[in-house]
Amino acid sequence: MSRTITIEPVTRIEGHARITLQLAEDGQLEDARFHLTQFRGFEKFCEGRPYREMPALTARTCGICPVSHIIASNKACDNLLAVDIPPTADKLRRIMNLAQLVQSHALSFFHLSSPDLLLGWDSDPATRNIFGVMRQNPELARDGIRLRQIGQTIIETLGGKKIHPTWVVPGGVSEPLSVEKRESMLKLLPEGLEIAKRTYAFYKTLVPKFKDEAGHFGTQPTLFLSLVTPQGHLEHYDGVLRVKDAQGRILEDQVPPEEYGRLIGEAVEDFSYMKFPYYKPQGYPQGVYRVGPLARLNNVQACGTPYADVALAEFHMLQESGPIVSSFHYHYARLVEILYGLEMMERLLKDPTILDTRVRARARSNRSEGIGVSEAPRGTLMHHYRIDDDGLITWLNLVIATGHNNLAMNQSIREVAAAYVDGNAIEEGMLNRVEAVIRCYDPCLSCASHAFGQMPLAIELRDAAGRVVDRLTR
Amino acid sequence: MDKTLIIGYGSPIRGDDAIGPLAVERLVERGLPVGVEAIARHVLTAELVTELAGRERAIFLDAAAGGEPGMVQVHRLEPDVDAHSTMAHFLDPSELLAWCRQLYGQAPEAYLITATGACFDYAHCQLSPVAEAALERLLEQVERVWVG
Repeated sequence: MSRTITIEPVTRIEGHARITLQLAEDGQLEDARFHLTQFRGFEKFCEGRPYREMPALTARTCGICPVSHIIASNKACDNLLAVDIPPTADKLRRIMNLAQLVQSHALSFFHLSSPDLLLGWDSDPATRNIFGVMRQNPELARDGIRLRQIGQTIIETLGGKKIHPTWVVPGGVSEPLSVEKRESMLKLLPEGLEIAKRTYAFYKTLVPKFKDEAGHFGTQPTLFLSLVTPQGHLEHYDGVLRVKDAQGRILEDQVPPEEYGRLIGEAVEDFSYMKFPYYKPQGYPQGVYRVGPLARLNNVQACGTPYADVALAEFHMLQESGPIVSSFHYHYARLVEILYGLEMMERLLKDPTILDTRVRARARSNRSEGIGVSEAPRGTLMHHYRIDDDGLITWLNLVIATGHNNLAMNQSIREVAAAYVDGNAIEEGMLNRVEAVIRCYDPCLSCASHAFGQMPLAIELRDAAGRVVDRLTR
Repeated sequence: MDKTLIIGYGSPIRGDDAIGPLAVERLVERGLPVGVEAIARHVLTAELVTELAGRERAIFLDAAAGGEPGMVQVHRLEPDVDAHSTMAHFLDPSELLAWCRQLYGQAPEAYLITATGACFDYAHCQLSPVAEAALERLLEQVERVWVG
């Protein structure tokens, strides 16, 4: 008789999910699925609200990623206003977006994934946690806290508060930067960069130990999607969309973000509240692509800052040729992006125009449809709104970074489970590896729970032996 | 660095959950004694451990969901390594104290003062009358604790 192993909750991720592994009679893996079990409903209850409320409303999607939603939402509103925001406002928004990137990546690397990386996937689960890391490497733990604090402090300095700041507004930002604030942020960055360089150097010494995991943690040959600059460099705030395949061929380039619908379709399945976006030209479910730090670095020739460019060159050497396909190397990519974020924030803050007082373009809505796309820490984030003549939302769609990776995450757990899980003798370390491959993607499930059309629902009635005796579907 | 740190935490849009941050607001308006600092947060995040390090006393102010609405309670807190949060982005105060002890050698003497709320609905930006009345009693307890 076949068996199902359920891992619930999946730990050290943001939000609530479970993984099910379906085993055949001989104990071999038949299927594996990643289920998002929480439901939100933003696409529905935001209907009828004034579009200017959208940044504040959609920021409540998540307590981890409010800044990312505030950025993408305000960009969609800029699009509705049909304005080019002042150049200084553009730079200030970029700084906040990068501060979010740094603090979020720090949380993922130092707090969520370091227990596996430092203590091992097979170590005692009772001590395989942040306290275990603190005991083994307290400096690393302190560095993680400090790096996150630096990111959060910059967000608070710019936005007035760490979570759900309201300083970014349609048309720009609500107030210019003061000299005092600029100096206080600049003082933080050298320390942050030293921490980032120290951590990156340390992690490089660990990478060779993970050859086996890197060989099985999501090595599927998917596509990679991200924003890039028009020159093909790393971009987190604006730019154009690029799609590259696993062989390094560029399939789509210079695509204006407003045309995302030409590249991306969205499917739904009855086992998860997360949508399944796919690359339209290849269809569903073949059009699997990945977003986030791994995709962003695979898609660019250069970051554009000194230390990050050296690290990017080393990142590309993780594999003999072509894009880095193993999802395990999301961790590496995150550290490269932390270096970039800190360097770029310093550059922007030292820009002589950063104190310019013209920071907001004022207009009424001049379009009935607006799209805003930016790179959140976990990947490309898309906000798409339609409004009526009174400026009220009639329809919206949110395509979330974690959602883009849904097909790839499901593929990855199948690959890891097939490689490590023996249904005849299940050990905790095997199942932890299945969870760990999900942690590579650093999914934020509060963000990723979104409806598309009518939710396909399946209710199964099972008897005591686990046999399905009835099934109701919608 | 001030010897005592007060941290009021909770969501400002979930009704009585805001009692911790609002208590901090009142304390700051009335004036804090020398050696006492007060901050408000939505949730307890990891980086707060650096704020706790080196303090002699920490007072956490929070809303409680259990018990009779309006009830104010003072709890002595100890560092607890087993209090880990299942969510990654916020911590339990005892967990935060354990982080502090583990990373910086010692944790401050700590108290959690709670007021049981009556309404935690979304998009409620005011305290219920029972929580509003409890807020004054909570502030009295804070003063008792910081006086020692």
